[in-house]
Amino acid sequence: MSSILVRTAIKLIFPLVLMFAAYTALKGHNEPGGGFIGGLMAAVAFLLFRMTNGRDALVKLMPFHPRNLVALGLGIAVATAVAPLFFGQSMLTSLVVDEMPIGFGQKIHFASAVFFDAGVLMVVVGVSVGMIQRLNEEIDVREIDGEGSLSEPAETEGTS
Amino acid sequence: MDSSWLLLLAVLAPGFAGLATLCLPKGWITPRVLLAVSGPALAFVLVLSHLGQHGVAGHVEAEHHDTAAAAHDDQAAEHADKYHADDKHGEKTDDAKPIHLPAPEGTAPLAWVPSMNLSLAFLADGLGGFFALLVSGIGVLIVLYARGYFGNTEQAQRDLFRFYPTLGFFATAMMGVVLADYTLLTLVFWELTSISSFLLIGWDRYDKHAVKLAKQAFFTTGLGGMSLLGGIALFGSTTGIWRWSDMLAQAGEIDFTQAGVLWAFVLMFIGAAAKSAQWPLHYWLPGAMAAPTPVSAYLHSATMVKAGVFLVGRLFPVFAPGIASPDSGLDIWPYVIVWFGAVTMLYGGVTAVNQHDLKRIFAYTTVSQLGLLMAMYGLGGFRYHGVPTIDFDITQIANHAFYKAPLFITAGAIGHVASRSLPELFGAFHKHKAICLTMLLAGYALAAGPGTISFAAKELFLYAILHAADEHPWLWLILLMTIATAACNVAIFVRLLTTLMGWRFGMQAQAKPDEHDDHHHEHGLWGALIWLPAVPLVALQYLGGFITPLWNAIFLPFEKYAFYKGFHGEVPSLIHALLNPSLALVSSIIAIGLGVLLGISKLLRGQHTDVNDYIYPATEATSVGLGRGVFRLLQNGNLRYYIFAVLTTLSAVFIVVVVQDRAMIEVVGDEAKNAFELPLGVILGVLICVSALLLPVLIQRVVRVLLLGSCGFIVVAMYIVYQAPDLALTQLMVEIISVLLFVLVLRLLPPVPEEKKEVGRVVRAIAGVVTGLLFGWMTLVAATGNPTEVLGEWFVQNAYHGEKLADGTYGRGGGGFNVVNVILVDFRGFDTFGEVTVLALAALGVWSMLPGRRKELESR
Repeated sequence: MSSILVRTAIKLIFPLVLMFAAYTALKGHNEPGGGFIGGLMAAVAFLLFRMTNGRDALVKLMPFHPRNLVALGLGIAVATAVAPLFFGQSMLTSLVVDEMPIGFGQKIHFASAVFFDAGVLMVVVGVSVGMIQRLNEEIDVREIDGEGSLSEPAETEGTS
Repeated sequence: MDSSWLLLLAVLAPGFAGLATLCLPKGWITPRVLLAVSGPALAFVLVLSHLGQHGVAGHVEAEHHDTAAAAHDDQAAEHADKYHADDKHGEKTDDAKPIHLPAPEGTAPLAWVPSMNLSLAFLADGLGGFFALLVSGIGVLIVLYARGYFGNTEQAQRDLFRFYPTLGFFATAMMGVVLADYTLLTLVFWELTSISSFLLIGWDRYDKHAVKLAKQAFFTTGLGGMSLLGGIALFGSTTGIWRWSDMLAQAGEIDFTQAGVLWAFVLMFIGAAAKSAQWPLHYWLPGAMAAPTPVSAYLHSATMVKAGVFLVGRLFPVFAPGIASPDSGLDIWPYVIVWFGAVTMLYGGVTAVNQHDLKRIFAYTTVSQLGLLMAMYGLGGFRYHGVPTIDFDITQIANHAFYKAPLFITAGAIGHVASRSLPELFGAFHKHKAICLTMLLAGYALAAGPGTISFAAKELFLYAILHAADEHPWLWLILLMTIATAACNVAIFVRLLTTLMGWRFGMQAQAKPDEHDDHHHEHGLWGALIWLPAVPLVALQYLGGFITPLWNAIFLPFEKYAFYKGFHGEVPSLIHALLNPSLALVSSIIAIGLGVLLGISKLLRGQHTDVNDYIYPATEATSVGLGRGVFRLLQNGNLRYYIFAVLTTLSAVFIVVVVQDRAMIEVVGDEAKNAFELPLGVILGVLICVSALLLPVLIQRVVRVLLLGSCGFIVVAMYIVYQAPDLALTQLMVEIISVLLFVLVLRLLPPVPEEKKEVGRVVRAIAGVVTGLLFGWMTLVAATGNPTEVLGEWFVQNAYHGEKLADGTYGRGGGGFNVVNVILVDFRGFDTFGEVTVLALAALGVWSMLPGRRKELESR
């Protein structure tokens, strides 16, 4: 997996995939896409990046534990779900503005559900990256200890 | 204050006070004790003030006794205190007269779960009110005793920190049991007492034996609780009565011939028998002595074990034959209860003599006394000259609490300073005068010696038997059993006396015990608390014995049953017994004589092992073994086996359903016509089938993973053909991730094992094909519902706008053009929210099961 061709190619593709994932997530309300799909796309990108460029590169890219992303995402989802309750609406009611000005004379169609989608995206990315990291770490340790050894990984003291 | 709130506060006070002690720093022993005392003390005062304000519910002053007495003719009344066999004739007619007990009224209910007939209402009648005072009053003494028992060492600080909340929890539960008016409310508190008892028996969490005994007690009383639940539910659903007060008020109108009522009684009695340690379920109570002595004194002698007696007392006016109306009650009442009670009584008494450990001795006498209390209520089902043969049940219950709690308290105290084994205590009186004196005074009450209320109580019980035996001669056997039991109790007292005093006939250990001189003894008031709380209770015993009118003044308001004319509505004093010599007095004298002889004899001096102690371990071992066998059969650890079992079961169920519903087959026939509408779809379907069928043929793992992936990618293509871009995108991403993860994980798996039998693979392949076909069929059936009922239409219409309203505007819609996404984030937003939560939980699972390797990797 550490072929230089693949590694370089992934480095180039990676930001593009992330951008496309963000685009898909944002457009989701009106065109095919959405938070879940966007999150999965980003997860694939991260997975490929991790497999080719190794652990340290990913840690540099995402210098915090993925669980923080999960917590933040869930928090946002809860907040958007509960927020309508304070305005006398039922849970998860979305606020829709058909033509919201965003400056420069441009107007967009906006629905507050986008925040919910963003939360979903974060959870999906956090969960996938977290799981991938753990699995990969496990594999890395075992590969160092000996090819695919099944026994419990040896204690690390003294081996460094 | 409203009575319901007041009594609720009384119930909760001990628990809250116990919790409050948790807020104090561990070192603050004295404030902790005072705070813990305040709970039961407050409860005591509240119950007392409630009773003072409203009177004892359902109690009618003296005239009630007169009406009861007037229920039979004068001539019979004159002869009532003598035992002429010829009086029997012609009394049968009196049996028909009901007793007309006034029905107590519960407090106004505070709604809790009214739909389940469960609300907070309380019934402070004679029985409940008395028990509430008993529980809270002894609770105060036990809190103080625990301070003396645990001491003031560092260990004691930790112990008391944990002890008071648990004790408060129990006191609250017990108060709830005795005061609750709703049957289900009683059950709730009943179970809480089992739980708190479990926590207290297994107090020493590192003592495996104690934990085992705690489990034994919990399961036994817990099973009793289940039985009680069954009884209450059965009674409630049969008669529609869910309150004790209603039960008492409507006892005359219940149709007792219904099977439901009979079984409800049986189930409730099993619950009561398990809780009150009736043979053969009594084994848990001696086992419960693993608890610290304050617990034994409180839960396992004075209060909790009486819950069963309390329940039988509650049921007595309803289920005992002929109390409420001539036809009311169950005829089996006295026979069932008297026999179980009497056997328990004798068995407990004989076993108690055969013990050396003081706590075990007293535990078995508790079992014995609980049997007597049960038998007392059982005897109430018989008549003597038309009145039930039961008198002063509260006095009987109070009597036992007032000597048994002091016995346990002093047993704990003497165990603390010397030993708990009787033979090792030879001559201990001369060293520990105060403790031994208190114990002997309480022991004298255990022996029902003249001059204690215990003597009067025993007389009352003997009277009841003798009266009832008038019509039921088999009760003479019960009389013999009672005399034997009483003799055992006297023997225990004689042994206590001779041993502690160091007299000739005392028990003497071969080896002198090590004196616990290294033990830390506290002096002063706090040190004396290890025996002092026993004193007021013992004092009550002698007060009742010598100044019986004072006892009557205190306890008569609680008594409901004072039928027998010969007692003139008062608990008979010693003088009454002496002035009216009867067979009861003779029996007492015989019992005392036999008891003294047994006490000084060499008989029954060993340590008897109770055969019933094996019931629970044997049952547990059997059921655990059975469970393990089933577990091994079902959970063999082979994932492939699990999946195979689940899928074949599912297929089997589906086939059964199809066989019964022909319509499901016809559906396929109709749909088959449309199958070839889209040739591309057919081609893709064939491709999926081909790659799936290749799976069992090709063995290499990587190849299989890629095959699975290709199946998935063809499904993506299928979605595109059928114009579902959202699904296609999601499926694509999921497939990529799965293949990548599979490839990753494959490296962690062991090498492919050599397949031993080709047969297994063929069978699994067939099962897989069948399951797949059935799933396809199921999907087809699901997809061909009536189109007008499909929600999809509604979703499509409301995705952006809601319905068009009268004023031209639109109602609320999802605000998006992508229906799938609107469903996900809006219409079915809750589902999505639940799914991401599950996802997060799964990640938490992975993180906790796969330990992080970051440090290891960084260290290399």
